[in-house]
Amino acid sequence: MSVREEAPLSAEQVDEVIERFPGRTGDVLRILETLQEMHPLKYLPEATLKYVAERKGLALSNVFSVVTFYSFFNLNPQGRHTIMVCRGTACHTRGSKLLLDGLMSESGGSANGDDASSSFTTPDHELTVRTVACFGQCALAPVVSVDEDIHGHMSDLKLKRMVRGIVKREAKDDNS
Amino acid sequence: MIIRDLDTLNDIRQTRLNRLLRSRPRIGVGMGTCGVGNGAQTVYDALAEALVEKGLDADLEPVGCFGFCAVEPLVNVYLPGRPLVILAEVTPEDVPHIVDEIADGRVPTTKALCRIEEWDHLTGEVRFGRGLSEIPLWNEIPFFQGQQKIVLRNCGLINPERLDDYIAVGGYFPLYQALHKPGGDQIIEEINKANLRGRGGAGYPTGVKWNLMRKAKADTKYMICNADEGDPGAYMNRNEIESDPHMLLEGMLIGAYATESNKGIVYLRAEYPLAVQRLEKAVQDAREAGLLGERILGTSFSFDVELVEGAGAFVCGEETSMIASLEGRAGRPRPRPPFPAQSGLWGYPTNINNVETWCNVPVIVSRGGAWFAGVGTPNSTGTKVFSLVGKVKNTGLVEMPLGAPLKNIVYGIGGGSPAAKRIKAVQTGGPSGGCIPAKHFDTSVDYESLGALGAIMGSGGMVVMDEDNCMVDVARYFLEFTHSESCGKCIPCRVGLDEAVRILRKICDGEADMADVDKLEELAPMIRDASLCGLGQTAPNPVLTTLRYFREEYEEHIRARRCYAGVCEKLYLSPCENSCPLNMRIPAFLELLKEDRLEDAAEMVWLDNPLPASTGRICQHPCESQCRRGDEDAPVNMREVHRYIADTVFDGPLMERVRARLLEDRFEATGKRVAVIGAGPSGLSAAFYLAMLGHEVIVYEERDEPGGMLRYCLPEYRLPKDVLRAEIDVLESLGIRFEYGQTLGAGLSLDSLEQDCDTVFLATGTWNETRAGCTGEDAPDVWHAITFLEQVALGAPPSVGERVVVVGGGNAAVDSARTAVRLGAKSVTIVYRRERSDMPAIAEEVYDAEAEGVEVRFFLSPQRVVTDNDGHVKGIELRKTVPGEFDASGRRTPVSTDEILKLPCDLVIMAVGEKPDPDPLRRAGIHVRDNYTAKVDWMTYKTNRPRVHAGGDLVTGASNVSATMATGKAAARAIDRILMGEDRLDRVLKVFTYENRVPLEPEGGDRQVARHRAPDDRKNNFEEVMLGYGAEAAILESRRCLRCDVKEQCAVKGGTS
Repeated sequence: MSVREEAPLSAEQVDEVIERFPGRTGDVLRILETLQEMHPLKYLPEATLKYVAERKGLALSNVFSVVTFYSFFNLNPQGRHTIMVCRGTACHTRGSKLLLDGLMSESGGSANGDDASSSFTTPDHELTVRTVACFGQCALAPVVSVDEDIHGHMSDLKLKRMVRGIVKREAKDDNS
Repeated sequence: MIIRDLDTLNDIRQTRLNRLLRSRPRIGVGMGTCGVGNGAQTVYDALAEALVEKGLDADLEPVGCFGFCAVEPLVNVYLPGRPLVILAEVTPEDVPHIVDEIADGRVPTTKALCRIEEWDHLTGEVRFGRGLSEIPLWNEIPFFQGQQKIVLRNCGLINPERLDDYIAVGGYFPLYQALHKPGGDQIIEEINKANLRGRGGAGYPTGVKWNLMRKAKADTKYMICNADEGDPGAYMNRNEIESDPHMLLEGMLIGAYATESNKGIVYLRAEYPLAVQRLEKAVQDAREAGLLGERILGTSFSFDVELVEGAGAFVCGEETSMIASLEGRAGRPRPRPPFPAQSGLWGYPTNINNVETWCNVPVIVSRGGAWFAGVGTPNSTGTKVFSLVGKVKNTGLVEMPLGAPLKNIVYGIGGGSPAAKRIKAVQTGGPSGGCIPAKHFDTSVDYESLGALGAIMGSGGMVVMDEDNCMVDVARYFLEFTHSESCGKCIPCRVGLDEAVRILRKICDGEADMADVDKLEELAPMIRDASLCGLGQTAPNPVLTTLRYFREEYEEHIRARRCYAGVCEKLYLSPCENSCPLNMRIPAFLELLKEDRLEDAAEMVWLDNPLPASTGRICQHPCESQCRRGDEDAPVNMREVHRYIADTVFDGPLMERVRARLLEDRFEATGKRVAVIGAGPSGLSAAFYLAMLGHEVIVYEERDEPGGMLRYCLPEYRLPKDVLRAEIDVLESLGIRFEYGQTLGAGLSLDSLEQDCDTVFLATGTWNETRAGCTGEDAPDVWHAITFLEQVALGAPPSVGERVVVVGGGNAAVDSARTAVRLGAKSVTIVYRRERSDMPAIAEEVYDAEAEGVEVRFFLSPQRVVTDNDGHVKGIELRKTVPGEFDASGRRTPVSTDEILKLPCDLVIMAVGEKPDPDPLRRAGIHVRDNYTAKVDWMTYKTNRPRVHAGGDLVTGASNVSATMATGKAAARAIDRILMGEDRLDRVLKVFTYENRVPLEPEGGDRQVARHRAPDDRKNNFEEVMLGYGAEAAILESRRCLRCDVKEQCAVKGGTS
């Protein structure tokens, strides 16, 4: 298993994105969203933030204010796989806290209250566990997503099995 | 094709309708996010493949969601001339049959949920066809009863990705009408007439808002749709956009025309990728058709819409925050004025409405404001879409006229609890809303009524909560949410919520005192009154409402350190332990047994529950409904395992060793003396713990033998007398003294006991019958269940004759019926005035009774016992009832009809309830409640007489064995604390060490079935029916435990804690 590169995006890449949004509504947000999606580790390295601030003529503090305000943005590298546990009300009443705690202990992290930004990435960057305020899939509660696939009516055991499945599959892929 | 005139619009409509209704079969698969999440894509793919394979000429298309999310995937099938049929819970395995049926010209009806013969899209009507009356009409099935689809008029019926589908059902005609007939003023006039109020939460009149906007003059004016559906637990906006995106665009277009705005923005959550995709497609299609852009529909009106995805911040639902976010900044609100209509996005006049508000607009234009105002109540007009989720059977999106009673939504449409649990509350309005307790479910759902209860309509989230939800935890959950979503700009919200969350966490962790609640009560109004925006102003609502309606739960967490719902993890060992009234350390005794440490297991079981063999037979086992193994296959049968442990000890030489251990565990004598009045389960349990704590205990009993109802009312076939006797022998050997023939008020006086003893514990139970209130009840052959069972237990059973009728639905009714079978009755009938699922009796007992030939009949209420001239019973007249309104417990109140049923019989047994005898209590100066139970303080079980405590059914009313024993245990703790000045009970309970390992995969296999006698072997005698586990089964069953008590462990690394 190799830990993937934590490199900033190249100036050309960032320039290209900035040009895509010439002065449109909410352009800084969109630029940052696009850049984060482009990064293989789905995050915004500091160097990228500095470069965007410079190019857009904004103070770095303004850019930083935006990325720390919205839960979408990550300032740390994300795992190859992401499991999101929905912490919406319907999921909460059907035991999603238990799922989150179980998942955290399974992957070696620790749940940090119910902070919407609470997330944990394994040191090898294979797996990120995070929460989402609500998927709007309340009828299937409790709900988790694994790499964007929604799984409803989740149970602690089922979820742990899925995580083990992912870990095993990866190990196999890396060996082959 | 650009649409410039009405003819083109009509052409598109007619062409599409011809295709949809006349030409060929059409299959629509519900492909909203929830449908896809339930497997709709695989169903769609399977259908596509099967149609090709079969060479069938049919249209297969995705449609939106019809609202009944619980039974997705939904597939609708239409054959020309026939009704549209909606199939539910369709799997790929169903596909071949569906396609075969269609190929043969038949409508597939397996899995049919409902049919639709005609549909009023409000902008146009569609007639499918008639027939197939064996399938219910859509609004005949409970989930849709009372629903009225205005906003969801097209959802689940049209293909959201086709503009011509929307036009086919009359879409964009209202826009044409608006652009060509009335001016902007007239549209606003209609909106005012409709009295449309904002559906985002606050309920502000839309027409008033639009008027301000219309008056604002500028060359750029923004119309914004707020689709940042941030309320966790609400998803109607997602579905509205996914299922019918053009209705939103049309609403915005009409609004823009009315207010002379030229730019539109939809601010949509990024968490809704499918909604984004469908709306993008709709915008593009509308542009290509000339419905967005320049010179719309051939007029001079121009308007375009842009999509902006939110980046995940709840506060951006607040309009000034949303504007900040759209300008590329952190979404912090600002004070108003200036209002957005004066100075909004980039300083231009701006109007923001919620998705659902926009969706109502085309209908109001089409049908007129007066029509719309006729729906709902005068102040809350129209409908509202609710997302009905949480602990309710039928989850989904429900559109109701405003003003419908809450109970119709929760119990009627929602179908009540999925797990036969007591529903406690509904949370409306999300983090800004409140919790409405079940006792207020009569409330009409409108803006004002919900507000009066301290809740809000909000965006329509309705989360149902049951007895397994902790209301303190709910308050903590919402405050943690609003706290983490607080933008931090104003101090009341930022600091106030932080402090409130800290207090709530303390309460949930059992580390708070009552002063913390006072502080919370002081803090909440401050945050509400002083915060800058709606987030802070409404954030205290969940705390305020839970404090108002569920204050006792706060007190339980603080004073008793208990979370009865089993949510606050620091306050319990495991869900089973927490649900056990006696708090038996279930995972621990299972583990001890597994480790082959029977003696340790037995000692622990006895310390936790002094009647383990009796309760092992007759307990209502609430533990099973909490067991997490139940999510996997079936709950662990914990009751049978502790019965096995107790029985095994009694059967062998172990008893002496366990008895010796208990004697060793007993504390040194304290010199204090306690009198217990009543040798029923509650008195016995109190006596045991008081004796173990070193006190001298004397039990006074009116009857000749101990055991109370266990001895005199529980039939021998459920609880053999010698089992009970052996357990009481153990108690006697711990030094407890019993005195029989001692009746309170007749020989036994509280005054003298108070002088002789340090404390008196009263547990005289509920031995007075409740009368059914029917004529002839006093005839000699009419027995009350308690008296009847007691006669049998005394060995003097009455003659039952051939035919027996038992009135009632509880355990006493079932016990009486099964006893009557054993006494030789040829036919035994139980009659109950409600339905089967409402019976309070243990379900297994009812099942066993029926296996023995007992007939159970429902919806019958006793009217008159018929007797002959000698007074002998000849029969009973029963009045048929029908289910009426939902009562506070969520059951339907039986309503009498005129229809009378006569059942001939020789004996009638009334089993309609028991209550305490209040007279001896009153004479002894004990305060009694209206229901004749003794009045005590719930924490100490103290009565008004300073040294007299009371417990058991005497204070709770008729309950069950473990609940009544639990009050004895709790009272013993309190009495000891008062006598000794410290809480010592936990020390008696002794700590055992054992392995703490969580199995990675469930072990132990399937749930073990206990041995039992077959009906033919048991119905002619009183031999015990349930024979319990053998050693092998008990150990296998104990291995099935998932060890929820082990909280700290890293399972991947396989470590033990």
